[in-house]
Amino acid sequence: MNFSVKLKNLKLKTPLMLASGTWGLGENLNKFLTPKEIRENIGALVSKGISINPKEGNPPPRLFETPSGLINSIGLENPGIKEFKKTYLPKLKSYKVPIIVNLHGEKIEDFIELAEELKEEKIAGLELNISCPNVKKGGLAFSSDPKTVLELVKEIRKIWGNFLAVKLSPMGPVYEIAKICEKAEADAIVVANTYPALAVLNIKPLKILQGGLSGPAIKPLTLRLVYEISKKIKIPVIGCGGIISGKDALEYLLCGAKAFQIGTANLIDPRSALKIIKELKDLKNGLCS
Amino acid sequence: MFKGKVVLNQKESESIYLLGIEASKSILKSFQPGQFLKIKINERMDPLIPRPFTIHALKENTVYILYQVIGKGTKALSKIKKGEIIEFLGPLGKPFPRLKNYLICAGGIGIAGFGFLLQKSMKKRKFYPPEKIFYGARTKTELVRLSFLKNFNIPIEIATDDGSKGYKGFVTDIVEMELKKNPKPVLACGPKKMLKKIAEIGEKYKIKTYLVMETFLACGIGFCKGCVVPLKKGNYAHLCIDGPTFLAEEIEFEFLS
Repeated sequence: MNFSVKLKNLKLKTPLMLASGTWGLGENLNKFLTPKEIRENIGALVSKGISINPKEGNPPPRLFETPSGLINSIGLENPGIKEFKKTYLPKLKSYKVPIIVNLHGEKIEDFIELAEELKEEKIAGLELNISCPNVKKGGLAFSSDPKTVLELVKEIRKIWGNFLAVKLSPMGPVYEIAKICEKAEADAIVVANTYPALAVLNIKPLKILQGGLSGPAIKPLTLRLVYEISKKIKIPVIGCGGIISGKDALEYLLCGAKAFQIGTANLIDPRSALKIIKELKDLKNGLCS
Repeated sequence: MFKGKVVLNQKESESIYLLGIEASKSILKSFQPGQFLKIKINERMDPLIPRPFTIHALKENTVYILYQVIGKGTKALSKIKKGEIIEFLGPLGKPFPRLKNYLICAGGIGIAGFGFLLQKSMKKRKFYPPEKIFYGARTKTELVRLSFLKNFNIPIEIATDDGSKGYKGFVTDIVEMELKKNPKPVLACGPKKMLKKIAEIGEKYKIKTYLVMETFLACGIGFCKGCVVPLKKGNYAHLCIDGPTFLAEEIEFEFLS
């Protein structure tokens, strides 16, 4: 069965992408998957969020498991764009799978600088993370401010001709933001990032962890978003939220997604991509027969 | 993930179990003491993330895990029956450092990883046997696997909080008494409070102490960056790929509190 997908100008061998921040920067990927398994099952690799300067990330604890979910507060630990290009990108390219670099900025100018840095690199595309706070707007998330998102995507579009996706937050004016991304000529949107969540770590004294919730717990919520958004816009929607089986992936595809990303599944088992693609193929074969 | 067949899941104390997983020898042969496995409890989505367990022992084609029932993951694990198939990923993490003329200090379930070290150290190739093992628990009935540990003919000194067996008090007290007479490196695994005390003793007697750390971790393979241990030099180590054993003097002391 031909599983390839075309998202505007980006051709993927399968509709499965590894979501940002759930497979590191590829350092250990080939310890668990052979080059052939990577090429044949993974449509695209979306890098960890890359910022201009290196980030150490948040102090521990960074994780908390909830029923069927995982709260994380990693704090965008990453080596910064210069080190990423020098040390990590060459290895990523050797996997011979389209590389999409997830960009993290604190202001529009940061995203522009990051996109400029990657202009000469042979990468398949960019994914803009708009769930982060915009320092110029007093820390208000980009995703809650449609005007800023419009300006951001337009500015990047001016300098970036290749595939450009925007990863939406599931919170805030999501439908409006989706339409704005289309208007600003993004090639696709990823629906969606993690849900803001909180865990009580200790009762007395009260100790909490705030972070993003992922995993099967959020699947019905994001599936609804994908379903509604894909009816409202014409650019491809990439579903991302709680996919851990081929059946989950199929549900996203049936509800309007053109492709999908897996995240928490990679943390459960680094070979999840293979399992999901196999199950999806079997299910699709069943549907066709 | 690899598949294995449960051949044993037996109670060793009120809350500690010994799990035996039969798997292919080609997988087991690369296991080193100090490394861990991530075990997928079952097909359910809760608990979601496979749990990490240190390798307790290896015999022929069976790997043994010694675990304490604490949360829902270990509770689910304790219900698994002989003959069931479970999935695991590993070996993960770095092996224990290769020490000579050293002591082992274990508190409670912290004894788990040292069984495999003793097994491997008998050959005196990659790993060497400790001079003494100090093993503490709250009470006599929580001391497990003593007959197995005695097989290696290494002196074992016991401490219990209530004095029901051995020295009455903390295991770190008897470790300190020994180090006063005879300073040597210590490899320790147990509750954070115990590890902190070992780090303090190490500083006091100017000896190297190595701590086997624990934290909630998700991927276990360096993907998620979730299991950080703050280091004194200001950055973070990742427990799953840089640890789980760390030189105490490198760890930010507050993290042990």
